[in-house]
Amino acid sequence: MRHADVTMLALARRLVGLVCAAGYAFLMAPLVVILVASFAGRQSHYVVFPPTSFSLEWYLRVPAEYFRPAVTSVGVALAAGSISTALGVLAAFALVRGRLPGRNFLKAYFNAPLQVPFVVTGIVFLQFYYLLYGLTGARLLGTVWGLVAVHVLITLPYMIGTVSAVLERFEVSLEEAALTLGATRWSTLRRVTLPLIKPGIVAGALYAFVVSFGDIPASMFVVSTATTTLPVQLFYALEFDYTPALLALCSLVVVVSMTAIFAVQWLLGVDFVPRGRAGG
Amino acid sequence: MRVRWSLFLLPPLLVSLVLFVAPQMAFVRGSLLHNLGYGQTGPTLTLENYVRFFTDAFYQEALLRTAGLSLIDALACLAVGLPIAYRLARSRSRWRSMWLTLVVASSLVTVVIKALGMMVLLSANGPVNQVVLGLGLVREPLRLLNNDVGVVLGLIHYTLPLVILILFSVVQTIPEDLEAAARTLGAPPLRVMVRVVLPLALPGLVAASLMAFNLAMGAFTSTALLGGGRVLTLPVLIQRKAVLEVDYPFAATISVVLLVSGVLLNVLVLRLAMRLRRGAPAGVVG
Repeated sequence: MRHADVTMLALARRLVGLVCAAGYAFLMAPLVVILVASFAGRQSHYVVFPPTSFSLEWYLRVPAEYFRPAVTSVGVALAAGSISTALGVLAAFALVRGRLPGRNFLKAYFNAPLQVPFVVTGIVFLQFYYLLYGLTGARLLGTVWGLVAVHVLITLPYMIGTVSAVLERFEVSLEEAALTLGATRWSTLRRVTLPLIKPGIVAGALYAFVVSFGDIPASMFVVSTATTTLPVQLFYALEFDYTPALLALCSLVVVVSMTAIFAVQWLLGVDFVPRGRAGG
Repeated sequence: MRVRWSLFLLPPLLVSLVLFVAPQMAFVRGSLLHNLGYGQTGPTLTLENYVRFFTDAFYQEALLRTAGLSLIDALACLAVGLPIAYRLARSRSRWRSMWLTLVVASSLVTVVIKALGMMVLLSANGPVNQVVLGLGLVREPLRLLNNDVGVVLGLIHYTLPLVILILFSVVQTIPEDLEAAARTLGAPPLRVMVRVVLPLALPGLVAASLMAFNLAMGAFTSTALLGGGRVLTLPVLIQRKAVLEVDYPFAATISVVLLVSGVLLNVLVLRLAMRLRRGAPAGVVG
């Protein structure tokens, strides 16, 4: 290589390195700032960065009104995640193994809820629940089950996606071998098929939980003050102002959810990289 | 015994027909109704809401602003995401999985918490302004919130980790041997990048940037918070029409325009990408 080429190469390398460092700094900075500022001492009631003193003061002062939304969020995410898991596994088996006319169309159809901005989904459900109430008298608006239904719709595509991906690589001969060796259909399912597709199910369920737990735009129109979720409550609080206590709350949410996610991933040995989209 | 796998589709299909198709159809029909106020609508179908959207410069501006901000977001994500993804995919460092985990972790954090972090970071007396003021780069604090700058930064923070993850798996599918071969044959590094890596990564690049663009077009939370109600994109307008003005037909109209324009732009970009791919030098594209 000529000398000029070598300098150019070094320069390009350095530039790429700089872009990478800047990118990581940008991704991490907001989270680091929240974490650090949440340990501020009681010097003021607004956020000062960097803090001049450190304490756990604000962690003790997380407003009690966030407790109930936090419980609702976890409950709804668990319920919606479980329902999505069941429906998603069924759909994935049908889409991958069934002899379906228009299979590609059906795949696109089941992915379609992610193409609709979640804020639109939220208003669609608001109107749908009004309509349903007018037609049948069933009240879903402002109820937990009304919220769960919305979250099933927006989490189902992830579940179908991850399970289908695993099923497509599945060696059917393994099942045939089990059946030939005298295993029943049920024990083949339980001891061969399920263990092999478990990574897909776990990854999908984790991501469904994350999407459901964090959603604002699809939920904000169908919750009432009694059924509001943690992110929605945070959103309305932030539209007004933020306090160090909210930083403490958010730090808790980040630390607890990350620990849970990576613990599950580590325990079950799932290589968990989320796919594609989540509307926010 | 044969299993009729197709039958398994019935429960999910039924649920999605009830939760997706029926509500959406009712909603789209709603965009063709006359708004009587207080959530009431007239009995006959009309195109007046669409006429209103396309004759009022305010809404066209909002559409252009939404698309423009999303385009900036997509390009920025490509510019920053590709170098990071490339390095991650080609790295042999034992810290690689930690770097990858950081990206995954960032992608899992709820948008509202990210937005809060950005609000602290970018505020008039926040760390960013302290640094630029301290270095004497500016005399007055930069205005980084409640305007387009804050919104774009929020969008990038929201879509960048997802773009990195997609591009990471794209670069992983490109055999490193091809690059080595090109280098052995005397191609300088830049040409290896432009003639070997980029053409092979093109479909992935298009997919990743479209994903970023689509997410940004529909982004509500970060735009509402970091725009401070002053940057009116279509998703923000949809929420305002529905909640503040209780004008559901018009909210539905904006939603339909947002969806249709998104689909049209995607089709356009995909067609352009196909043409670009066909025009690439023979033998480069596998």
